[in-house]
Amino acid sequence: MTPAQSAISVRGVSHQFGEAGEARHVQALLDTSLDVARGELHCLIGPSGCGKSTLLNIMGGLIAPSTGTVAVADKPVRGPMPRDLAFVFQESALFPWNTVFENIMLGMTFQGVAKAERRERARRALEAVGLLEFAEHYPGQLSGGMRQRAALARAISLETGILLMDEPFGALDEQTRMVLGEDLSVLLARSNKTIVFVTHSLGEAVFLADRVAVFSARPGTIKQIIAIDEPHPRKPSFMTAPKFHALRDQLYGLLHDEIRKAISETPRTRRRYDQAGDGERA
Amino acid sequence: MSARDRATARGRLLSLLVQFAFLAILLLFWYLATTVWGVSRILLPNPLDVWHQLVGVVASGAFIPDLKVTLGELAAAFAISTTLGVSLGYLISRSRYLIKVFEPLLAAIYAIPIILFLPLYVLMLGLGPNSKIALGATISFFPIVLSTIAGFGHVDRRFVTAARSMGANDLQMFRHVLLPAALPVILAGLRMGFTVALLSVIASETIASFAGLGHRIVDLAENMDTARMFAYIVFVIVIVAFLNAVVSKLEGRARWR
Amino acid sequence: MAMIGSGAPRAPAIGLPQRLLRRPGVARLAVVILLLLIWEIAARFLLDRDFISPPSVVLMSLGNLLATPGVTPALWLTLCEIAVAFVLAVIIGAGVGLAVGLNRFAHRSFMPIVLLLYGIPQITILPIFVLVFGIGAASKIAFGVTHGMFPIMIAVAAGVQKIEPVLLTSARSMGANRIQLFRYVIFPHMIPSFFTGMRLAMSGVLLGVLLAELYVSTAGIGYFTSMFTENFDATKLIGLVSVLAAIAIALNEIVRRAELRYTRWRD
Repeated sequence: MTPAQSAISVRGVSHQFGEAGEARHVQALLDTSLDVARGELHCLIGPSGCGKSTLLNIMGGLIAPSTGTVAVADKPVRGPMPRDLAFVFQESALFPWNTVFENIMLGMTFQGVAKAERRERARRALEAVGLLEFAEHYPGQLSGGMRQRAALARAISLETGILLMDEPFGALDEQTRMVLGEDLSVLLARSNKTIVFVTHSLGEAVFLADRVAVFSARPGTIKQIIAIDEPHPRKPSFMTAPKFHALRDQLYGLLHDEIRKAISETPRTRRRYDQAGDGERA
Repeated sequence: MSARDRATARGRLLSLLVQFAFLAILLLFWYLATTVWGVSRILLPNPLDVWHQLVGVVASGAFIPDLKVTLGELAAAFAISTTLGVSLGYLISRSRYLIKVFEPLLAAIYAIPIILFLPLYVLMLGLGPNSKIALGATISFFPIVLSTIAGFGHVDRRFVTAARSMGANDLQMFRHVLLPAALPVILAGLRMGFTVALLSVIASETIASFAGLGHRIVDLAENMDTARMFAYIVFVIVIVAFLNAVVSKLEGRARWR
Repeated sequence: MAMIGSGAPRAPAIGLPQRLLRRPGVARLAVVILLLLIWEIAARFLLDRDFISPPSVVLMSLGNLLATPGVTPALWLTLCEIAVAFVLAVIIGAGVGLAVGLNRFAHRSFMPIVLLLYGIPQITILPIFVLVFGIGAASKIAFGVTHGMFPIMIAVAAGVQKIEPVLLTSARSMGANRIQLFRYVIFPHMIPSFFTGMRLAMSGVLLGVLLAELYVSTAGIGYFTSMFTENFDATKLIGLVSVLAAIAIALNEIVRRAELRYTRWRD
C-alpha cells in the first residue's frame, strides 16, 4: 500500500514503560509496523497485555513511542490530533456532570468548531446513534450501552476522518455488543470513516473488521494480518455463515498459543504492566 | 403492617419518648435547682429569666452590633482562607511530587491546636478584629487547601485523557474538566472551613477581644449578669446552627453527584 | 520521555542535591528549613522587634523563658491538666460509648442526644465553666473532659455497633455466655475503635485545656501570654507558644502511633 492510500502508517514502533532495570520496566511493543487503509475497519486483537491499547494510544498521539514513527494522513504524529482522530474508550469517558447533549457540545468546543455549527452537528450525531430523545439525560441515568452510544455520538460529531476505538463494547453484555456492532457496521458503510478497533473478542473482530491484525503475547508485535472480504453493512446472517466460522477458527489458531503465554505470566509481572500507564505525554 | 414492622415502630416511638423525657427532666431539674433547691442565681439563672432576657435581646436588636462584628470577621477570614486555600491547593495539585511533599506537611500543621497562635496574632495585630480575622483565616485555610489538593489531585485520569484527545487547551481543561470533577470534594472542604472559621472567630473573641458575640458573653459573665449571659449563649448556639445548616444546604445544591 | 523517531541519548546524570530532593521527605525538610530562614531574616532585619523575634533568638532565650518565675510551674500544671482530663475523658467516653453501643435501644435513644450535645459550640459555655469551677485547674480539666469525651464516645459506640452479627451468633451458638461474649468477641473488636477514639480524645482534650488556659488571664499559661503580650515581649511569647506546640505535637504523636499499632489488623 502506498503511503497516499493509508490513513495511518506505523513504522518500527517499539515502546517500553520505565527504564530497563527498574522494577516497573515493561516492554509493551516490539518493532511493530502497520498500514491502515482509508475507509477500512481495522481490528487489533491479541491476548491481554500484548500492547494493542498502547499502540492505539500511540497512533492517536497520546503516548510518544520509545522508538519508531507514526503518520496520520501523511502528517507525522507529535501529539493529539483532534481534527483527524477521535477516540472512543471502553469506560465511556463522558463527563458525569454534563448532560449527553452538553458532552457532545463540549467535545466540539475543545476541537474548535464554530459556535453556530455545534448544535446542528450534535443533533445529527445523536440522531445517527438513536439517542436524540435522551439528549438532556445525564450519563449516570443511562445504561452502559446507551452511554457507549453517546460516546460514539460525541466522536462522530467531531467529524474526523479516523475513529480509534479501544474495546468500546468491552463492558457491555453480549446482546448489546452484537446490536451495537451491527450499528457500527452500518455507520461505516454510510460514512467514509477509517476505524481502528481494539478488541478481545474473536467474533467481534471477524464480524466487524475488513482486516484483523493479530498480536503476539508481550512484548507485542504483529504476528499476521488476516483479510475479511465481506462488504459493509454486515448482516446478522453473516455470523452464521461458514465463512465466518472458518475465519474465526483461523484467528483462534493464531491466537491460542499467545493466549496461553499471556495467562501463564505471574500476577506480579501483570500488575506492573497494569500500573505502567505513565508514558502519556504531558 | 407486619408484626415485625409494628415492633420496630413501637421501638422507635419509645426511643423518641425517652429523648423527650430526658430533655424534659433536664429542664425540670434546671427550674427546680434555681427555685426550690436554692442554687445561687449567679451561677445558674432561672430558666424563665433566661427566656425573658432572650426575648428582650432579640426584640430590642441589642445583639446587632456584636453580630455585625462577628459576621464581619467571619466573612473576611473565610474570604482570605478560601482564596489562598483554593489557589495554593490547585497549584500544589498540578504535580504528584508537590502533593507528596506538601500534603503531609499541611496535614501535620493542622493537627496542632492552632488556637495557640492567637496570642501571637494579638501581639502583632492588636485586640481588634484583625487578630480574629487572622486566626480564623489561618485555621480554616487547612481544611480548604487539603480538600482542594485532594479534589484536583484525584480527578479521574480518563476524563483528562478524553479531553486531551479532543484538543482541549489548558484553560478549557481546567474549566470544563478539572473544576467540575473536583468540585464536590472542594465544596465539602469549604463547608468544613466555614464551620471552623466561625468557631475560631467566636473562640478568639472569647479569649481576647473587646467586641463581638464571644466577647459579649465574657463581658456579661464578668458583670455577673448570668441570665443575660445564658440568653446570649443560646442565641449564639442558634446562630451557629443556623449558619452551618445554610452552608450545608448550599453545598448540597451545588454538587452534581 | 523520548522524542518520536529517535532512540535519543539519555540526559546526563543529575547532581546529588537534585537527586536528594527527589525524595519527598527530604524536600519537606528543605521547605521547613527555608521557612525558618525566611522568618530569621525577616525578623532580624525587616520587622519590628516588638512584634516578632527571629527563631535563633527565641531558641537561645528558652532557658530565660523557663527561668521566668511561674512559667515552668504553669507548664507542668497544664501538662497535668491534660493528663487528668485525658484519663477522665477516656473513662467516661469509652464507658458511655460501650453502654450505648451494646444496647440497640439505648443507642437509638441516647445517640441523638450525644450527637446534639457534640454539635454545640462549647466555646460559648467556657465562661460558665470558669464561673462554676473557678480559675484554677478544675475548670481547665472540666473543659478538656467535655471536649475530649464526645469523640471517643461516638467512636467506641460505632465500633461496637460495627461488629458483624455473624461473629456474635456463631460464638453464642458455641455456648458463650454474656461475659465470655464480651471478653472474647466484643472487646477485641472494639480495640481499634478505642484507640482511634483515644486519638480523637487527645485532640479534643488538648483543645479544651488550651482554650481554657488561654481564656483565664489571671493564672496559668493565660497569665503569661497576657503579660508577654502587654510587655511586647515577642521573644518570650513565641517561646512559650512553641513549647506548648511541641507538647501538643508530642502527645498527638504518641496516641497516633498507638492507634496505628493497634489497628493493624483492620485492613
